Amino acid sequence: MDEKKRKIHAFAARAIFIIALLLIWEYVARSGMMGEKSELIFPSLEAIGDAFIRNFIQGYAGISLWVYIGNSMRLLLEGLLIGILLAFLLSGLSMVSQTFYDICNLVISVFDLLPGVALLPVVIIIFGVKPGVIVFLVVHAVLWPMSRNVLDGFLAVPKIYVEAGMNMGLKGASLLWGVYFPAATSYIVSGLKVGWARAWRGLLSAEMIFGVASCPGIGLFINQMRTNMNNAEMYATLVVIIIIGLVVQYGVLSPIENCTVKKWGMSK
Amino acid sequence: MKKKILALATCICLAVSLAGCGGKEESRETSGGQEESADKEAATLNIAYQYGVAYAPLSIVKEQGLIEKAYEEAAGKKVTVTWNQMSSGADINTGISAGSIDAGFMGAAPAITGVTKGVGYKIFTNLSGQEHGLMTNDENIQSFEDLIGSSNQIALVNIGSIQHIMLAMALENAGYDPHALDANIVAMAHPDGMAALESGNASCHLTSNPYIFKERQEENLHEIMDVTNAWGIDDTFIVGVASETMHDNDPELYQALCGAIEEAVDFINGNPEEAAKITCEFDGNSEEEELEYIQKSKYSIETSHLFELASFMARTDFIETAPESYEDLVFDNVSGD
Repeated sequence: MDEKKRKIHAFAARAIFIIALLLIWEYVARSGMMGEKSELIFPSLEAIGDAFIRNFIQGYAGISLWVYIGNSMRLLLEGLLIGILLAFLLSGLSMVSQTFYDICNLVISVFDLLPGVALLPVVIIIFGVKPGVIVFLVVHAVLWPMSRNVLDGFLAVPKIYVEAGMNMGLKGASLLWGVYFPAATSYIVSGLKVGWARAWRGLLSAEMIFGVASCPGIGLFINQMRTNMNNAEMYATLVVIIIIGLVVQYGVLSPIENCTVKKWGMSK
Repeated sequence: MKKKILALATCICLAVSLAGCGGKEESRETSGGQEESADKEAATLNIAYQYGVAYAPLSIVKEQGLIEKAYEEAAGKKVTVTWNQMSSGADINTGISAGSIDAGFMGAAPAITGVTKGVGYKIFTNLSGQEHGLMTNDENIQSFEDLIGSSNQIALVNIGSIQHIMLAMALENAGYDPHALDANIVAMAHPDGMAALESGNASCHLTSNPYIFKERQEENLHEIMDVTNAWGIDDTFIVGVASETMHDNDPELYQALCGAIEEAVDFINGNPEEAAKITCEFDGNSEEEELEYIQKSKYSIETSHLFELASFMARTDFIETAPESYEDLVFDNVSGD
């Protein structure tokens, strides 16, 4: 019962917070606080709502926003999947080989600092001009923070667990799978959260700079709306981005958290 | 119960403070430019410009303090001019509509979009015309015929940019649908596009001075002339826009701005060598290169084919509302067509 109350309370607090924010937005939009051109740069909720529907019906250049979302999600999933697999591979190998760990640690520290879009010129020369460039940038966005988290998780596994595992005859891959993975799950889950957010942002910024017209994504859509001064449409697209983010957060990541670390009592 | 009310109050306070911060800051920016420029004591002028040899006269205006001089002569007062380098016409459009920028320099296409969208500015001068061209590294591509329906990619700066519109114009001139090549476009910055073309990753690159000159020197690249002929060096490429508020509230400052641009354009046309010395530093070129690029540009305060461009953009759905006349686009003092 207590749990239920807590949930209702959380829901109510969030709902009130959001409603208050929206009311303030509407007040600012209608009061003309933003100068004469307020309507153009700070559209009212009604205008944004209309634009939201228009985005899906008319879209831009005769293509509905659905298509843009579909393209973005496809590239994102591809990049995310490759990034996560590589992150596990890198951190797994690092635990097996000391030399690999030394190099990997350096590589992660170096590349985590580089913004993906700054690598664009090099990536274009290597990969050519195709949607694969975006996938690469998504991989770059997710791989390093995720590897860092997983690696930290592996390093935080108590030595006694590892020795117990070794006593049972586990080594190499079986040690990784039998001891390191389960013991580091909370780090891995938080790595997934960070990785997902980084990938999503990396995707959008890459698409805003590098737009492949044959495979247009959400970033390109935002850029077009900005170029054409359709600010209501642009804000509506930001709302779409937030909604997708929330759906993934509560629809995918939370359930994973619930049936692993929370169920096992590793975190609250 | 008390606790609940407290929690509710916290929520609202938090929301108010969040939104409040943003609001206050932006409204401060709003009042900044306009009101002070109307204020007779200390006038300020916020100018936004972009990077490259097409904007060369602005470096002269900035270096020689031409606006400050002209304003002091006309009004007997000082003006503080702030120069902001921005990366796209869309950013400048937002800045002007928010009131934080009084005048800006950008491509003709975003300026026409801004005027017809009601951002609250008009074009007050032409600045420059440049050469543009569509370069390709594929010998099999000789005309649009070879590109339409193919998977060849055309690198250009942005969808809806002036380069994209040139492509549409050239297609229409050649008797094709102006949007026939839209799906072949890959949007990327000029230097990235040049790298992609030279490394063979993209088959075509539609670009402008100075990249077009660098690419014309490469032996394995050739030019598809339709684009070059569609919108040339004599046609308006970069324009200056000024907010209507500034134009109406401080006519002396507006005149000083127009006069300064004209003076700089005359200077650059009359003494290209001296001009190159001043501007090469800002553009990151050697003096010889800069001089070459300046001589290959056309600086003029008279617009050319501007209304034709706007009508074309409206007809081919680059903008939603068509301007009715040339006068809708520019202030009274601007000459040209």
